[in-house]
Amino acid sequence: MSSANVLMPQQATILDITEETPDIKTLRVVGKEGMPFDFMPGQCAMLSLPPVGEAIFSITSSPTCRECLEFSIKDVGNVSGALHGLVPGQQIGIRGPYGNGFPVEKMKGKDLLFIGGGIGLAPLRSLIGYCFAHREDYGQIDIVYGARSPADLIRKSEVKESWAEEPDTNVHLTVDAEFPDWDGNVGFVPTYVSELGFSPENKIAVTCGPPIMIKFVLQALDKLKFSPEQVITTLEMRMKCGVGKCGRCNLGPVYVCKDGPVFSLDQLNALPAEY
Amino acid sequence: MKKVIAREKLPELWKSLAAKGPLFLPIQEGPVVLFQPWQEGAEINLDAVNTAVSPKDVFLPREETYMQYRCSGKQLELIPAENIEPVTAFGVHPCDLKAVEMLDKVYIDQDPPDALYKKRRENTTVVGLSCSEPDPFCFCNEFGVDPADAPGADVMAHLKNGSVLLEARTDKGKALLEQAGDLLQDGSKETAEVKDVKTADFGLNLEGLPENLKERFEDPVWDELYKSCLGCGVCTYVCPTCYCFDVEDFGHEGEGQRFRCWDSCMYGHFTAMAGGHNPRAGRKERVRQRFMHKLQYYPEIFNEIACVGCGRCLRSCPVNLDIVQAIKALGGETVEQR
Repeated sequence: MSSANVLMPQQATILDITEETPDIKTLRVVGKEGMPFDFMPGQCAMLSLPPVGEAIFSITSSPTCRECLEFSIKDVGNVSGALHGLVPGQQIGIRGPYGNGFPVEKMKGKDLLFIGGGIGLAPLRSLIGYCFAHREDYGQIDIVYGARSPADLIRKSEVKESWAEEPDTNVHLTVDAEFPDWDGNVGFVPTYVSELGFSPENKIAVTCGPPIMIKFVLQALDKLKFSPEQVITTLEMRMKCGVGKCGRCNLGPVYVCKDGPVFSLDQLNALPAEY
Repeated sequence: MKKVIAREKLPELWKSLAAKGPLFLPIQEGPVVLFQPWQEGAEINLDAVNTAVSPKDVFLPREETYMQYRCSGKQLELIPAENIEPVTAFGVHPCDLKAVEMLDKVYIDQDPPDALYKKRRENTTVVGLSCSEPDPFCFCNEFGVDPADAPGADVMAHLKNGSVLLEARTDKGKALLEQAGDLLQDGSKETAEVKDVKTADFGLNLEGLPENLKERFEDPVWDELYKSCLGCGVCTYVCPTCYCFDVEDFGHEGEGQRFRCWDSCMYGHFTAMAGGHNPRAGRKERVRQRFMHKLQYYPEIFNEIACVGCGRCLRSCPVNLDIVQAIKALGGETVEQR
């Protein structure tokens, strides 16, 4: 049992910042001695920038990347806004990792279907990178990714070039409306999932995106005969501690910070829908 | 080890205890009694049934700074700033000590332990105080609490006619009595006069309530129950088993501190996310959260209802939306009483 104060962040430094979209930036963060901590895909970390405060973000890099941690952050609030205003070399606070992460063991031997919308690709990207690094453990991989417009897609070159080049992997991109120079699909993510008509046979679907997208993706998967055990999502809540004590991220007796943020649909169906 | 002290000698005992470190006890502050640090001239009230706010802040302070920071340019220095010293809590009633044991389960037993809470707990010597005359709002019997005894205390104190019997239960307790030296007399032949104390019978039937509530998240009872709630949060403030906290920074001109402070699930901002989404956006959701946490969520994790019958929400809620009303509305009432 450690006697260290788990709320105490360690010092970290921003290596560089990439502008992904008009309101999303990816920060690469390193600790005093390399990686601040080990983690698994789907886990999160608290980033802090006093006196603005502290907020929780999913780690978007794969644990197989040993250089740094990456966070793709949308500018929606105080801390995210302040992080957007930083420059490389700036020191921040970091603590973690928090949460259960994706069930990478349970997913072994399965075909995988990743469905992301907008900034929802951030936690999926960590898992996708992990699966590519352990390619022999997983079957066919399909990635459906969409955003409002081509300009709102994050990690564009990685998604279009690197991921699409991986063996037994298909990338399906979509945007909400017609745009000049856009040669991909046009339509909402849930509709596109239905159109692509994936078979649930030996497959696990993992989805993350805006709540409204997730709602309709779940309906689409249900129509495609995916069982709730085959569908995995990851939730977002306001958090202060990250360790199940501050009391605000619970769904019934389950705390999203420590028991989640990753849940299978059958787990979620058994909990109060208070998210 | 049993010792006895005349009541008029108590101020000397407190003074000697306070000389060794902070001493918290029930202090009369105008019309209310609060659990506060002792100061010369403080009006100690051991006869009050209970303090208006629970003594939980001895272990979980209302606000507690745990980090200092300094920043300049791109540099940021984060410095641990805990300040936890040995303290004595004198006069903690059995209900409140039972509540501290419930907080222990969250803050110590559930991994990872909360270092700040754990250190405070280890650094605190608790002198429990039996209750001889519960008030009409006390209902700790319902939760298996014996007003005459606080099993978790380091020293158990019993008020007697003109004297106080002090019984050491732990090594920490023995040390406290030994330090007091000549102020205390041998009490080995003394017995506590407090026994078989009965608290209010509100006709509650808690048998199976947590299990029964599991399927009642969407129950129509919530559509009515919350309506009188003002959202003031006093229930969570006075409650000995409420433990939620917030973390905030305060600073200017390149330096400042990070602190945590009590927070309340009764407030809208508690769950409000950046971007505007709020999973518990209304009073209905918040009232449901508070009562479900006490009666279903906490019991599901720790096998007991998170209420000790201290009666504070009954005394404090301006609209009588207290835990007894909630339990009754949720069917936790004996049939005869209905």
